[in-house]
Amino acid sequence: MKISKKIIDNLKKGGVDFYLSVPCKLLANMIDILEKDNDVYYSAVPREEEGMGICAGAYLGNKFPCIMMQNTGIGNSVNAIVSLLQLYQMPVVFLISYRGTPGEPVGAQGGMAKITEDILQTLRIPMLHCSSEDDLEKISTFSKHAKVVESPVAILCDFNLMKDDK
Amino acid sequence: MNRFDLLNKIQNILKDNLVICNIGLPSQELYKINDQPNFFYMLGSMGLSSSIGLGLSLSQNKNVISIDGDGSVLMNMNTLATIGNRAPPNYTLLIIDNGSYGSTGDQKTFTDENTSLKDVAIGAGCKNVVECSGDETVNELSKAIEDQNNSYIIISKINSGNIKIDPIPLNPITIRDRFRKFIGIVKYL
Repeated sequence: MKISKKIIDNLKKGGVDFYLSVPCKLLANMIDILEKDNDVYYSAVPREEEGMGICAGAYLGNKFPCIMMQNTGIGNSVNAIVSLLQLYQMPVVFLISYRGTPGEPVGAQGGMAKITEDILQTLRIPMLHCSSEDDLEKISTFSKHAKVVESPVAILCDFNLMKDDK
Repeated sequence: MNRFDLLNKIQNILKDNLVICNIGLPSQELYKINDQPNFFYMLGSMGLSSSIGLGLSLSQNKNVISIDGDGSVLMNMNTLATIGNRAPPNYTLLIIDNGSYGSTGDQKTFTDENTSLKDVAIGAGCKNVVECSGDETVNELSKAIEDQNNSYIIISKINSGNIKIDPIPLNPITIRDRFRKFIGIVKYL
């Protein structure tokens, strides 16, 4: 819970006040925290691409949105990222559970893990890679950066960082 | 009645509300009929008009109308479940259902065969789902906007067919900023 709480605290410190998620077991504690938090909006959504659309609308309505998802969700969302969020220069934080990184027990997750950073790089999306608790302190500044550069940004949280966050 | 005729008929309702308009011909036709700063024209991301409007209606209090098409809703049907569970009363989804992919050459969609978007929306949990003719749409849309307690999905069954039209000349940041200025967020314009 300590890691998840730190992530949410830093996102809120960075101004993020609208949260969506497509679930992942590594995000479960964050979802619990957000469901009980009356200061921010939170909802589950069925699919990441749709979440990009909802985040775009939330930005138009003056919210600072974040979508939480597995790295697989980036694959589901490429066109929405490029022809909506980037075309109209909309700041959105992607909080990504980085499945398929060391510690991951499910071999099939390795495929998307191998290309996740390449996809984000190709999309020219600024990345913050969190592999230790210290890295989490950078989340608030990094989130604010999304607003300054009017761009989606991606925070990648390694499997091993999240897995023991009981 | 085709889409251009319908948009002409409802323009007086649209001009007073926040409108998210579907990519391609719907946006181009709306721009030609009566361009307004409170119209957000989609230049990409087919399928997401319904979702963008939902996010906007959750984030501020003005009425929001998402103009979508049958082809686009078929592409993003999961969002009907999100609407059925989360849409606030200031949200209206207008699906212009002409049974075809108008912007790509009028290929038939599945609503021209066995699929009923009304049944899908009801099954997805949407409470106020109205299917009506093009002529009835003005009245149904007015009622939906006036009702401060419920969100609506209106499925307007019209004929396919397009007019000859040019792309929208506005750049995306202009569309974004004048829209947000209308809401009262952007102060520098």
